[in-house]
Amino acid sequence: MSMWLPFRLAWRQLRAERARLFSAIAGVMFACVLVFMQLGFRSALFDSATALPQALHGELFLVHPLTTALFRPESFPRVRAYQTLALPDVSVAVPIYMAQGIWRNPVDGSHRAIQLIGFDTEAGAVSFPGLPPLISALKRPDTIAFDWKSRPEFGPVAALLAERGPFKVQIANREVEIVGTVALGASFGADGNAVMSETNFRRLVTERKAGNADLVALRLRPGADAAAVQQQLTALLPRDVRVVTHDELVAWERNYWETATPIGFIFAFGSLMGLVVGMVIVYQILFADIASHLAEYATLKAMGFSGGYLRLVVMGAAGILAGLGFVPGVLASIGLYDVVAKATLLPLRMDPNRGVLVAGLIFAMCAIAGLLAMRKLRDADPADMF
Amino acid sequence: MPHPVALAGVGFSFGDGALRRPVLRDLNLTVAAGEIVLLTGPSGSGKTTLLTLIGALRAMQEGRCQVLGQELHGAPESARVALRRRIGFIFQNHNLLAFLTARQNVAMSLELHPDFGDESKRMAAAGKVLEQVGLADFAEVVPAKLSGGQRQRVAVARALVASPGLILADEPTAALDRQSGHDVVHLMRDLAKKSGMPILLVTHDPRILDVADRIVSMEDGRIVG
Ligand SMILES: Nc1ncnc2c1ncn2[C@@H]1O[C@H](COP(=O)(O)OP(=O)(O)OP(=O)(O)O)[C@@H](O)[C@H]1O
Ligand SMILES: [Mg+2]
Repeated sequence: MSMWLPFRLAWRQLRAERARLFSAIAGVMFACVLVFMQLGFRSALFDSATALPQALHGELFLVHPLTTALFRPESFPRVRAYQTLALPDVSVAVPIYMAQGIWRNPVDGSHRAIQLIGFDTEAGAVSFPGLPPLISALKRPDTIAFDWKSRPEFGPVAALLAERGPFKVQIANREVEIVGTVALGASFGADGNAVMSETNFRRLVTERKAGNADLVALRLRPGADAAAVQQQLTALLPRDVRVVTHDELVAWERNYWETATPIGFIFAFGSLMGLVVGMVIVYQILFADIASHLAEYATLKAMGFSGGYLRLVVMGAAGILAGLGFVPGVLASIGLYDVVAKATLLPLRMDPNRGVLVAGLIFAMCAIAGLLAMRKLRDADPADMF
Repeated sequence: MPHPVALAGVGFSFGDGALRRPVLRDLNLTVAAGEIVLLTGPSGSGKTTLLTLIGALRAMQEGRCQVLGQELHGAPESARVALRRRIGFIFQNHNLLAFLTARQNVAMSLELHPDFGDESKRMAAAGKVLEQVGLADFAEVVPAKLSGGQRQRVAVARALVASPGLILADEPTAALDRQSGHDVVHLMRDLAKKSGMPILLVTHDPRILDVADRIVSMEDGRIVG
């Protein structure tokens, strides 16, 4: 007997009870949207947490082995940067400096910590979207570029810039001029970012050792084998720095947020709750469908339909509900991603891999509900029919 | 040729241990090819239980029970399911699937017979049987829109469409008024006689005794005549 017939019977049965069908679809859709939002937030937060390392150009990087996350780096002697130039394959080494400074909101005067990032803006090792046209302006003393994707609590900087051109703000009790904006993005570790030249960074952050850097970006000569250079540098440099590739740097940062914080767990838990709620709804609908048709199911058994056929009917119904709930669920999630991304500035968007994952979870959820509801079929005893 | 139904020394009890209650005792019964047998008897005499055993809806306990050539004593579930496909059942309640039209309900029986043909063949055959039971104009109607007698006639069509080797019916007229009850059993008889299907029909209804070739009475789990 073909698989198609029980599937068709399942569909005809579901279709007959519109209200029940729609509440089941709504339940699946709800679970689907919930899981998509949880996984979307999770990935957006991790993406935004790694915005800084993602934006850094460079084949290799030097970091202190004890640095857990880039928003609070351990510094190491800047001379390590120059030591790498001993290898002919290393063409540029750019020290990067990071610190927190207190920003005074230019509109209401409120204070908030902002991440200050300083480096040789002309070296080309670090480039954020929007930075290249600002490079010459940033050479002037006491100038910065503001990250327009910072949290709105820093004030409407981009709007003010558009309105009145470059203007002065206070960071760490020092007047600096905003000459333009770059795009980087707020993350867990930093609500906002200000980018500046190495010299201007030293003017703002006076309390730190001048000879120390927090991160070094290395550019290699074209055609150089990054893995080989990484090995050579690891052998060459003292143990106070680690040599990592760009991917490793991003993974390092991501790993910190995934493992050292409950964030990953929270979103996994939220997804699980959505799936459990969806499963209970689908189970109840399938169960009610069987319970209210016990006589009909028993009749089918009496007619010679096997238990396997009836189980396929239930699983078919579960599969149909999964499909009918997933499609509007994924569409609603795409729309919601857009709305939430605009409201929170988080990089929230539909990702095909996540779509496949959620489809798998939703189908598994409905399959489990079907397997549980199926037990009710045992109550359909053809011997009770006469 | 063996009889479609041949029972010898059949016994059956419900319950276990102290609660064990025999319902059928040392029962012998045969139904010949093409024969219409009515089974009557007081309530609780075991008629329905006997029918569920012959219909392979229950596992046998004692005796021999050959139905359409299949020995049911010790038969595995799969053999019983296969046998049921060759029997047409008509219940007191029609038990049609509410979400299918009359024709779809009837065609469901044919889904159990893969060699019968495809969907269009099934639907055509279902339409023809509905015509024979006088429901040509109601083929595309769902059961809720049919009268009790019409529903039972759809159930008859469903039982007959796959040309079963045996029809088992338990009080098929109990839920019907006099006229529809009369119509339904006469219809069953006419269709069965045409194709030589034997019928074993349990009834309390004295008004339909005239369709029988033979009337068998049961009392206290035994055939008494
Ligand atoms: N599932 C069951 N479990 C226990 N006892 C049962 C069960 N089904 C029937 N019985 C008992 O078996 C006996 C025979 O029942 P059965 O239904 O076969 O009688 P019947 O002749 O069909 O009666 P009626 O004319 O009322 O339909 C009755 O005493 C009944 O109470
Ligand atoms: Mg009975």
